[in-house]
Amino acid sequence: MIELVNVSKSFGRVYALEGVNLKLVPGEIVSLVGDNGAGKSTLTKIIAGNERPDSGGRVLVDGAEIRGWNAAKARDIGIETVHQSRALSERQSIYANVFMGRERTNALGFVKRKAEIAETEALMRKIGYTSKVWTPLSRVDNLSGGERQGVAISRAILFNSRLVVLDEPTTAMALSEAGEVLEFIRDLKRQGKSVVFISHNPWDAHAVADRFVILDRGKIVFDGPKGETTAEQFIGLLHRYAKGQVQ
Amino acid sequence: MTYSNNLIDDALVVVPTNGHKLRGRLQLRDDQKPVIGAGVFLVLMMVGFTIGSPKVFLDFGIYTAVFLSLPLFIIMAVGLVFVTVSGETDLSFPSTIALSGLAFTVVYEQFRSSFGFFAGFVMAIIVGTICGLLNGALVTRLGLSSLITTLGMNFALIGLTQVLNEGKLRVLPEFDSSWIRRLIVGSWGPIPVQMFWAFGLALLLGLIFNRHRFGIHVHIVGDNPDAGRAMGVDVSRTKTLAFVIVGVCAALTSVMAILLNSTYFSTMGEGYLLPVLAAVFVGGTPVGGGRGTIAGAVIGATTVVFIQTGVVAVGLDGYWTSLGFGVVIVLSLVGHRWSAKN
Repeated sequence: MIELVNVSKSFGRVYALEGVNLKLVPGEIVSLVGDNGAGKSTLTKIIAGNERPDSGGRVLVDGAEIRGWNAAKARDIGIETVHQSRALSERQSIYANVFMGRERTNALGFVKRKAEIAETEALMRKIGYTSKVWTPLSRVDNLSGGERQGVAISRAILFNSRLVVLDEPTTAMALSEAGEVLEFIRDLKRQGKSVVFISHNPWDAHAVADRFVILDRGKIVFDGPKGETTAEQFIGLLHRYAKGQVQ
Repeated sequence: MTYSNNLIDDALVVVPTNGHKLRGRLQLRDDQKPVIGAGVFLVLMMVGFTIGSPKVFLDFGIYTAVFLSLPLFIIMAVGLVFVTVSGETDLSFPSTIALSGLAFTVVYEQFRSSFGFFAGFVMAIIVGTICGLLNGALVTRLGLSSLITTLGMNFALIGLTQVLNEGKLRVLPEFDSSWIRRLIVGSWGPIPVQMFWAFGLALLLGLIFNRHRFGIHVHIVGDNPDAGRAMGVDVSRTKTLAFVIVGVCAALTSVMAILLNSTYFSTMGEGYLLPVLAAVFVGGTPVGGGRGTIAGAVIGATTVVFIQTGVVAVGLDGYWTSLGFGVVIVLSLVGHRWSAKN
C-alpha cells in the first residue's frame, strides 16, 4: 500500500537515512527497532509527511508515486501518527482530545458535541474501555498512562486511517500500562490497518510484530518476518547488530 | 481488556468527570466546581454584608446603583477569560479602554449625531482590535512574555492616549437625552439596561468558549500547545484572536462607560486593572491556562464590585476595600484549590 523507494535524508553532511526501501502492507504490524541515532525518528517523520526525502527518493501509494509529499497528503491517504508525547491535552475531556484539530462542526464552526460524544463512546467500547467509570466527558489526566495512549491511538482509528505510525508509545510506562498499549496495537491490526511500531524495548517490539525492521546508522540492515523467532533470538540478533558482528 | 476491572476500584479515589451519579453521590464536573464555589462565596459574602448593614442591603436601591457599573466589569472579565485560558495574560486592557474611548469620542465629536455614534463605535472596535492584534503578534510571532509585553503596552498606549488627548476632559452632554443612551445604558424598571447587554455578551462568549471550535482551541493551546500544534491547531492564530477579544471587550467597555457618564477622560481605564483580574481569578480561572469559566467570571465580577460597595456600606472606611480584595482573592484561591483536590 505504501512503499518507500531509495529514500535518503541528510541534514548538512550527516546522513540520517541512506537508500532505505520499505514496503508496508495492510493488516501487518512492523516493529521498527534500532539504537539511538539509527534513523527511526527520521523515517517516521518521512512516512508521516513531516519531512521530505532527499531527491531520488520516492514515496509510492498503491503503486503510484506521490509528488510533493507532505503531512496533509499523508493524512489524506490515511496515515496517522501517534507521537511519542501522545499529543494530548490532558486537562480536557477524552472526546475533545479525540477530535482535537478535526472537530465536527456546523457551518458556523460550532462543535457538534452530541455527535462527537456518541462517536467517542462507540470508539471507547471498540478499543476496550469497558468500564462505565470513564465516559467521553472524563478528563484525560484522570486516566492511566496506558489509557491515555489509548486515547491517542483511538484518534487513528476514528479517522479511517490505513496506516498508523506509533513513535515509542510505551516509553516510560509501567509493565501493565505497556501491556494495555500493546493490546491497542493488536486491535489496530484486527481492524485491518497497517502499523509501524517504533520502540526501544525489544520485548515490546517482539510481542506485537509480524515483521521486524532493524535500522542501523541510517540503513535497513534487517527486514524479515517474525515467523517462529523467539524474543531471546530477536534480542540476540539486535545485540549482534549493535556489536557489528553481522554484516 | 484486563485493566477495566481495576478502574472500578480506582473510582473510589478518582473523581470521574462525567457528572453522573456514582454510588449515590452526585458528582460535579471539574469545570462546574469553580462556578459553584464562586457562587457559594458570593452568597456568603452577601449574607455577611446584609447582616452587617441590613438597611442598605435589603433595599433594592443599592443593587440598582451597583448594576450601573457592574456590566463594565463583567464585559471586561469575560473577555479576559479567553486570553487567560489560552495560557497568556493581558495587562494592557486599561489603556485599550482609554485609547478606544478616545477614538470613539473624537469621531463622535465630528458629527454629534446618531451617525457619529455608530461611526465612533466602529472606530473604537477597530482600535481595540488593532491593540489586540498588536499584543498577539508580539507574543506569538516574537515569542515575548505576555506579562511583560502587555505591561509595556499598557504604559505605551496610555502615553499615546494622553499625548493625543492633551489631558482634555471631553463632555458629551447631548448623550443625556439621546435614544442611544436609553437603548444602551437606560433602565428597565429598577434594572439598568446594560446588565442585559453584559449578560447577553457573556452568554454569547460563553457559547463560543464552550461550544465553538475556536473556544475549544483556546482551551487546548493553554493546556498543551505542542499537542495542539501536532494535531493541526493554529496556536499563534488562536492566541492572537484571544487578545483581539480582550481588545474588543475593552472597546465595548469604554463606549458603555462614556455613554454612562456622558464624559471622556484619558484615565478612564485606570480603575479596571486589579478588579477585573481579581474577578477572573475569583471566578475560578487559574493563571496556568487550559481551564476557566465564563460563568465564574460573571460571578467573580459581581463579587468584586460588591466588595467595593459592601465595605463602605457596612461602615468601614473606603481604604478597607483593598484589604477586602486581597482577602477575597486569597480565600477564593484556597477554596478553588481545596475543591479541585476533593
